[in-house]
Amino acid sequence: MNPLIFTTILMTVLLGTMIVMMSSHWLMIWIGFEMNLLAIIPILMKKYNPRTMEASTKYFLTQATASMLLMMAIIINLMHSGQWTITKVFNPTASIIMTSALAMKLGLTPFHFWVPEVTQGISLTSGLILLTWQKLAPMSILYQISPSINLNILLTMAVLSILVGGWGGLNQTQLRKIMAYSSIAHMGWMTAVLVYNPTLTMLNMLIYIMMTLTMFMLFIHSSSTTTLSLSHTWNKTPLTTTLILITLLSMGGLPPLSGFMPKWMIIQELTKNSSIILPTLMAIMALLNLYFYMRLTYSTSLTMFPSTNNMKMKWQFETKRITLLPPLIVMSSLLLPLTPMLSILD
Amino acid sequence: MMTYIVFILSVIFVISFVGFSSKPSPIYGGLVLIVSGGVGCGIIMNFGGSFLGLMVFLIYLGGMLVVFGYTTAMATEQYPEVWVSNTTVMGVFLLGLLMEVMLVLYVLKSEEVGVVFKFSGVGDWAIYDTGDSGVFSEEIMGVAALYSYGAWVVIVTGWSLLVGVLVILEVTRGD
Repeated sequence: MNPLIFTTILMTVLLGTMIVMMSSHWLMIWIGFEMNLLAIIPILMKKYNPRTMEASTKYFLTQATASMLLMMAIIINLMHSGQWTITKVFNPTASIIMTSALAMKLGLTPFHFWVPEVTQGISLTSGLILLTWQKLAPMSILYQISPSINLNILLTMAVLSILVGGWGGLNQTQLRKIMAYSSIAHMGWMTAVLVYNPTLTMLNMLIYIMMTLTMFMLFIHSSSTTTLSLSHTWNKTPLTTTLILITLLSMGGLPPLSGFMPKWMIIQELTKNSSIILPTLMAIMALLNLYFYMRLTYSTSLTMFPSTNNMKMKWQFETKRITLLPPLIVMSSLLLPLTPMLSILD
Repeated sequence: MMTYIVFILSVIFVISFVGFSSKPSPIYGGLVLIVSGGVGCGIIMNFGGSFLGLMVFLIYLGGMLVVFGYTTAMATEQYPEVWVSNTTVMGVFLLGLLMEVMLVLYVLKSEEVGVVFKFSGVGDWAIYDTGDSGVFSEEIMGVAALYSYGAWVVIVTGWSLLVGVLVILEVTRGD
């Protein structure tokens, strides 16, 4: 793609999300979502093969439907409250429709079916943008309408997302699909605590974005999209095997690493609000996630996965230089001791 | 009938939307879009917005739809699909038509309909002259406000249209 056009379109993706996050008029928010959707389509279609085109079409159709539902909720809200300002949504019907629309945009169950298929069909860099940047805009709107969200619907969607994200990722060997199911599960964790303490949603989003960025950049660095090719990293760059181990265990939520912080805070917040069964279920279902992360670490870092003999003598052109990879790795694994600093977020 | 003209026009509006979303060939979709544009213009005019209605006719139908019609005529196939040629298209059209008819009957018959918001029969659709807004008409003031207070909206929509063109060119360019 022409670099100037590519820069313009990428800047428009950023502009769309910025407009969503900083607008106070519902119509501008809708315009921001549409601008974001329109501009990300050519980024998803960077390579012109039928698979990327199919993935872009699926993404466009689901997100356009979600935008239509959002517009309907906005108009119902207008009818019942007479104003266009972003505050809590005054009508329960509008609130339910808006929550469903934003859940479709995020990829929460039962609207999660597009996430693995779209993520698998596009390149690793586009998948990175899809799974991290595109979650910011809907989550910011959910944050702003959080006082009026119907608790039952949101918690049902969250718990089902954690379940689907864990169970669905079990049978996958393609790394992009694994990251997609991981995204579904993390979105479930984020929305579960949204009604109780929205600050923790933002904390979880921040740490999730850091960890997903790190994982995708490690995949891009070793140019691997399947478990099998990831298992050959001991031959290409042995250091990244350790880094993949640490980051994957952080994503699974293991204690001394920073991925534990959001899960810990969320469980604490939920139990403070006297719901015990829910965080227990969520923590148990997060184990499914941990299982397939550990399977990846087993094949990549902990064992030398069986391969043919000519795979053991690899050579490659000069390694890609990924900026910001070392700081990201440090941040996605060592942030746990900073947990007391969360008190400044009040 | 004149008191319920908005209701009748909105029913025709929905039926023509069903007509093109049941996906016949784009030429026939464009034909139905002309009808829906005209009917939409009528709805806006009934609320006193004569300027905006004329804008719909001039810019939307006379500008954009004409260009759409020409490009579709260039790219059309030898036997374009009509609503009756394909079972699926006809089925979807009839389904949409049936749902609209049922909704109309429901609205006409019952005293109060509470689906998402409350109708109270067809009486809700009649337009009353609710007081004087002064010397000026509201919709012209709205257009003026768009270009003065709403400058940011103009910038954002203008940028969206520009990026829309860039995106479409990029997507259809191929390799």
